[in-house]
Amino acid sequence: MLKPEINELLTETGPGTACGDLFRRYWLPALLTEELPENDSPPVRVKILGERLIAFRDSEGRYGLIDEFCAHRGASLWFGNVRECGLRCAYHGWKYDVNGNCVDVPSEPENSNFKSKVKLTSYPLVEVGDILWTYLGDPATQPPLPEFEFCQVAPEQTYTSKRWQESNWLQALEGGIDSSHVSWLHAGGLKSDPLFKGAKGNDYNLNDLRPFFEVAEADGGLFVGARRNAEDGNYYWRITPWVMPAFTMVPPRGDHPVHGHFWVPIDDHNCWVYTFDYHPTRALTETEVSAMRAGHGVHSRNIPGTYRPEENKDVDYLIDREAQKRGDTFSGVRGIAQQDASLQESMGPIVDRSKERLVSSDTGIIKARQKLRKAVEALRDEGITPPGVDPAHHRIRSAAIVLPQEESFIDACQDALTAELGKAHTSV
Amino acid sequence: MAKPILANACALAATAEEAAYRIDAEIGSRAALIIGLDADAAAVVDRVAERPWGAARFFHAEDLSPEQLVSEIDTSDVAIMVATADADAAAAEAIARACFERGIMTAGLILGEQLAVAASVAALRPYARNLMVTNDEEDVAEVLRALRA
Repeated sequence: MLKPEINELLTETGPGTACGDLFRRYWLPALLTEELPENDSPPVRVKILGERLIAFRDSEGRYGLIDEFCAHRGASLWFGNVRECGLRCAYHGWKYDVNGNCVDVPSEPENSNFKSKVKLTSYPLVEVGDILWTYLGDPATQPPLPEFEFCQVAPEQTYTSKRWQESNWLQALEGGIDSSHVSWLHAGGLKSDPLFKGAKGNDYNLNDLRPFFEVAEADGGLFVGARRNAEDGNYYWRITPWVMPAFTMVPPRGDHPVHGHFWVPIDDHNCWVYTFDYHPTRALTETEVSAMRAGHGVHSRNIPGTYRPEENKDVDYLIDREAQKRGDTFSGVRGIAQQDASLQESMGPIVDRSKERLVSSDTGIIKARQKLRKAVEALRDEGITPPGVDPAHHRIRSAAIVLPQEESFIDACQDALTAELGKAHTSV
Repeated sequence: MAKPILANACALAATAEEAAYRIDAEIGSRAALIIGLDADAAAVVDRVAERPWGAARFFHAEDLSPEQLVSEIDTSDVAIMVATADADAAAAEAIARACFERGIMTAGLILGEQLAVAASVAALRPYARNLMVTNDEEDVAEVLRALRA
């Protein structure tokens, strides 16, 4: 349960809000590199933290992320032309470069200096892995680029997709921390999904539906361990890291690629979910990439040409009651991603956390909210840089492991939970 | 014959305006039993107990006779064990066993740096269904608030 004012504090991320200021201390995914595949590609609308922006790639391959609307009459630059190192408004031809500088006002005399007085808001846009990242904060506090392992490995080892989720970012993130729903909502997928099935760990998951949970502090966020009974009195542990503010990883299964998410606020009622899969020591196979593109694993099956899942709110998530009755899926919704999204969207655009009834197995969520609140307040009141900004905090992994009962997962898995290029992941 | 489509008959009904009127039935307090397992934890429990709570009850393990313990657990929804570096493993086992027999959820909050409290974590792990290791004393109150204790 959260007081309404704390719920507002953590869910509102627009300009001038305290949590918005927190997000503006991090590099955030703005769009996929595939959205601007070549020089002079059509511009792409980007809404992030409530700000409407336009992304483009100019004739020399430079990326720009600027205010979506032309300074002249406020028309959207999405209709504009990208050519000759700039984006020209389709209305009256005003032209902007990747830094938001107006470089041509055709209605003015050729030698007019008026254009030099016109500049749109602009933010850096940098390619790291399959993602174009932006930083929306004060340039004086811009941190080094992100170093999450999924965007550091070779291109053939990683795949990233994205989907639009029609809920506030925090209820989406909380799904990423909450391990206790997996054995219920996603039980069907463990048996059949090509990116999950066959792992020994699945048997532990399905044979013990009442896991014990352990939450431990990490420099950049938390580790949430879920333990189930294994053979000979050992425990099977699945360890989920959260790096503040919005990065989570799913513990791996067998030799399958390992996956995770970045939950990025679009505005207070919508978020982008960037979903990645990578293998730390080998290239992804064609079969694996095909499965990811088809929306298996934790990816979504999107409407062609968009990042909106086919199983969306408008069509009641294509719920299949027969599949539910047969036990193929627990909720009747196809795919792990939309199984989560359908329930999180059903909670309302921003769930009223003053009305919820948490139980002690929600300690991961309770602790994550507390860490977020403290970080927001410390930044607002004392200017303290929040956890997760330092790239050292990005070098983490999830893990799945069988340990003797007396061993602490956090002590036994120090190495397993630390990302290092080329090192095998710890998986069962 | 086609069924009539009502305003709340599809997922599109999940709007911000409508969500404001959800779950309006009164939600009561959780009968939480909070027990300090060692001297430092008992001091924390005493400090937290000074705040206003609903149905939460606070004890030191060393002050509870076996009969009192059972009596308190009988009227609880959840038992929360608080420990620091010197958790009393025997007390944790007694509490957890009594909870298990009655279907009462158990949780453990261990205060201190991970390495310094490793022994306490090991002592509580078999018995606490949910365990949090934290160096922030405020987490005890935070968890109780979240549980509506």
